Amino acid sequence: MSKVIRIAGAQGFYGDSPLAAMAIAMEHGADYLMHDALAELTLSILQKDKLKDPTLGYARDIEVHARTLYPMAFAKGIKIVTNSGGLNPASAAEKVKAILEKSGIKGIKIATITGDDFLERFSELEQAGLKLENLDNNEPYFPAKYPVTNANVYIGAQAVKDALDQGANLILAGRVADPCLALGILAHEFNWKIDEASTQEDFDRMAAAITVGHILECGGQASGGNTYSEWPMNYKLSNLGYPIAHVKEDGSAVITKLKSQGGKVSRNTVREQLVYEIHDPSNYITPDVVVDLTNIKLENIAEDQVSVSGIKGKAKPEKLKLNIGQMEGYVTEQFFFFSYPFAYDKIQMFIKAAKEIWAMLPVKIDEMRFNIIGVNGLHEDAVDMPTADELNQRSELGLRIALKHKDDRSGKMAIQGIVCLGLNGPPGVISVPGWGNTNRAMLSLWPTLIPREFVKPVVQIISL
Amino acid sequence: MLTINLIDIASARSGDKNNVCNIGVMAKTKEDYQVLKKHLTADLVKAHFKGLIKGKVDRYEWDALESLNFVCHEALDGGASRSLRMDTLGKNFSSHLLRMELEIDTIA
Repeated sequence: MSKVIRIAGAQGFYGDSPLAAMAIAMEHGADYLMHDALAELTLSILQKDKLKDPTLGYARDIEVHARTLYPMAFAKGIKIVTNSGGLNPASAAEKVKAILEKSGIKGIKIATITGDDFLERFSELEQAGLKLENLDNNEPYFPAKYPVTNANVYIGAQAVKDALDQGANLILAGRVADPCLALGILAHEFNWKIDEASTQEDFDRMAAAITVGHILECGGQASGGNTYSEWPMNYKLSNLGYPIAHVKEDGSAVITKLKSQGGKVSRNTVREQLVYEIHDPSNYITPDVVVDLTNIKLENIAEDQVSVSGIKGKAKPEKLKLNIGQMEGYVTEQFFFFSYPFAYDKIQMFIKAAKEIWAMLPVKIDEMRFNIIGVNGLHEDAVDMPTADELNQRSELGLRIALKHKDDRSGKMAIQGIVCLGLNGPPGVISVPGWGNTNRAMLSLWPTLIPREFVKPVVQIISL
Repeated sequence: MLTINLIDIASARSGDKNNVCNIGVMAKTKEDYQVLKKHLTADLVKAHFKGLIKGKVDRYEWDALESLNFVCHEALDGGASRSLRMDTLGKNFSSHLLRMELEIDTIA
């Protein structure tokens, strides 16, 4: 029988539940757990942690995983590959090592992957004459308009393969591109070329592996979660089984899940994940290979089993994507609820008074937004507003106020400034939660491309 | 002409990349896909969002998955963290699109 490698999509985002991964580890349902912890903005969020405490800057759920999931996985010989190292893989590894040592675990190699962090390397890029043009609008980056929070380049799978080749049981990487985690695993197991790939066969199987990674990278979204395709979702959601790919040497795969768990794997659930966050299906660009999904073949082959094949690859792009996080200011948000009767009129009265109060206070608000919850909260101006008469008949309406401001005081002062409307304003107003929310940082992303020569991933191993 | 509800012939999922939102629209059957391909244009999608999408909308046909992928530029109020919207990531662009009514030929 030909070799099959089983990879589970064990985590879809920083903060995901570890229960599905624990079920997979317990049943030995996979050979590898692939955790994706980094959405586009996660690194900017981790930078805030790191500024407060230089030993932080990684996805902190690994501390929970180290106490619960990792020991279960290691006992079964399961390896774990994650980009949870975030901005501080070295510190993440030390933290995990300390927790594992406390549990008496020995004989484990933890690998870190770094080389993606460009926060300290801007002068180098500027001196090399790079303009760092914005991918969306071609504007040159220099001179920088805002303070930088982080700058990380998406790196590929070679370092993941190298770390596994060196015997790593756990990889805590920085900004390895999500689907490249799967490619690194498969290249290690099947001894594929990555950086030296040159033949069509090399490209095709790499592209197939990237596709597997893309299907797995959002966890439960490929196995029956967050889906309209399988609505009304006649299966259990509370213990949704996460997707597991059984991959052969040619890169073809069968996507499945544990029988003991809820959820569903079907052509529909896999198809829905495939279209997610992809632009041109014939040119899905990753650091290692450009994937052509035009002729992908998805088939239901049995209950909860979908085969994936027919993927083509093209040579990797010349440049790598660098995301620069910028601190642009703050956003403050507050919810208020208004009861029948006259709920809509009361909201209009409240907004008018709030604006008049802000005009009297030393607050600087750059932009303000008012949404009516249950009417245009999620869809903004894309939906038709009911008439005022109709809204006044509702038993209750919510008002959401969102404010943009450059300093960190204006938001709080603006909300505290309208507290008095609880007594001085229209009757029957409730504020949730409480009065006077604090602001959150408003971070923006500057996506750009840099030549590969600047990027040298580094693998380090610590043993215990 | 016949008016049909998009939700009767398709499902959808949307997501973000900075200020770009993509909406994958998946036909329920092969026949439904032909209807989508013929009638669900990029212009209709842009108009359905009444100004929420500031930039262009690119449409990709994905025959192998009986799906269309709409890539909507300048659609997320500046991108997730800069946005003053509640749905900063555009996860409900899919839901809103499925409300669309589509005018189709009686024989698709």
